[in-house]
Amino acid sequence: MTRPQPLLTLSRRYLTTIVTPRTSTTTTSRLLRAPQPQPARPHLRITTTTPLIRTYHSIHYPSPTHPYTNSQTTILSAALHHVPTHGFTRDALTLGARDAGFLDVSVQLFPRAEFDLILFYLASRRGLLRSKVENDNLLQSAQPQSVDDKIKVLIMERLRMNAEVREKWVDALAIMSLGENIPMSLSELHALSDDILSLAGDVSVDASWYSKRLAIAAVYASSEFMMTRDTSAGLRDTEEFLGRRLADARAVGDKLSGVKQCLGFMGTTAVGLGRSWGLKI
Amino acid sequence: MKALGLLRRAPLTPSLRPTPPAVLDFLAPSTLQTRRQCKNTATKQSAAIPTTSQQKSNSSKPKYVLNQEQREFLDRALRVNQAGELAATLIYTAQTPQVVRSHPHLRPLMKHMYDQEVGHFNTFNHLIAKHRVRPTAMYPIWEVAATFLGWSTGVMGREAAMACTEAVETEIGSHYNDQVREILSWKAEAESRGEELDEELEEMLVTFRRIRDEELEHLDHAVENDAKEARPYDPLVNVIRYGCKAAIKITERV
Repeated sequence: MTRPQPLLTLSRRYLTTIVTPRTSTTTTSRLLRAPQPQPARPHLRITTTTPLIRTYHSIHYPSPTHPYTNSQTTILSAALHHVPTHGFTRDALTLGARDAGFLDVSVQLFPRAEFDLILFYLASRRGLLRSKVENDNLLQSAQPQSVDDKIKVLIMERLRMNAEVREKWVDALAIMSLGENIPMSLSELHALSDDILSLAGDVSVDASWYSKRLAIAAVYASSEFMMTRDTSAGLRDTEEFLGRRLADARAVGDKLSGVKQCLGFMGTTAVGLGRSWGLKI
Repeated sequence: MKALGLLRRAPLTPSLRPTPPAVLDFLAPSTLQTRRQCKNTATKQSAAIPTTSQQKSNSSKPKYVLNQEQREFLDRALRVNQAGELAATLIYTAQTPQVVRSHPHLRPLMKHMYDQEVGHFNTFNHLIAKHRVRPTAMYPIWEVAATFLGWSTGVMGREAAMACTEAVETEIGSHYNDQVREILSWKAEAESRGEELDEELEEMLVTFRRIRDEELEHLDHAVENDAKEARPYDPLVNVIRYGCKAAIKITERV
């Protein structure tokens, strides 16, 4: 399946003799350019430093697009069609590369193979969710929905996107939970919950910003896991599970804010009492 | 995608283009550097290409596109500003009862300053939500710290409370000033390239200036009300000023 060494050296030779980096505009020559600038493979660096850190957003500057090159996008998109049958494996990548008209060896573009495919899947589904809201009016309905309702709709919509890879998803979760992959998986999860909340129109700007994202991420991850074992029609079980988890999260949040309010009330009462006794506090 | 290919070719064929606009000249070398920069320039150039034709038709100037560093600057700035205004409102809330109790004539002044701080806080809350900036993780800690600072200086009396205002507003005022200066430098850069800032940034510039002036006005009020009479003046003011500086540094990151 993968015969990296000979072909890789061949491409290096091509690089130094024929292809000058400046003129490389075609996909194949760009492909060959891959190992050129540094001994360390540049694509490894690009995918590991995916700028998932969210900075200042503005309608005037659409957030920077994905960090993949043209050829990477082409291969990965083609590979996604093979995921339902082959799972998140090197086979799916190779088949995708073949479909897109690349050599088998171009799987070399993805140093982390399966995990790169999974990350691409996650990022593209996240983009799909956003476009469904922005272009297909997913959240438009006759009666005004609360933020909580919108969150539920969005999470469910995102889960439905996983439906066709449901059987393979456990493997993906396993790969994502490998030590070296955890940071990227978590930041992708954060990006998803951040997107869900901002699409739902949540405008919390205090410490609840963190707790809400954490709660959404936890609910989503557990529902996702639940879904891998869900055989009911139309994912009914998952939907009910999601509803219960969201209710739980809301109950915990209400409890905490109740406790905080109660403590604050007691504090101000004590201070007010002291002041009424003439204490200079 | 197409633009990227176009871009790569662009530096090769300078002779084919009669007079490449200044923007392209400036950006061309960076296309050969790392990919990330290449991406930035791609967006910049694709934004710049239609604008050159616009310039000829003289309809409107191209928009200045912020780079990653500038966005991070705005990210930090908005986060610090929100936290600062949160602290300011809490300081005034905690000070007002004690100050007003012994000096009732200060009630309108305290209310005026408090109302302005609330206005600023709402402005930044709005900006944070609009630009999807992460609020500071130290939020609950700053709440407690600011309330304690306001309360303790309030207990020490009017002069100490005013000295606290003086110290805080000095730091905050210069902080806003730095931000205004930074955005103005972007504006100058944009103008030198024949571009202009988008209206959000222009509006932010106006807002920052207004808020800075209001904060400095609070500083004047504090000095008028015997802030310099506080005992011990120097240690108190220095502690608060260094505390503010540290808080700003922490908030920028966390």
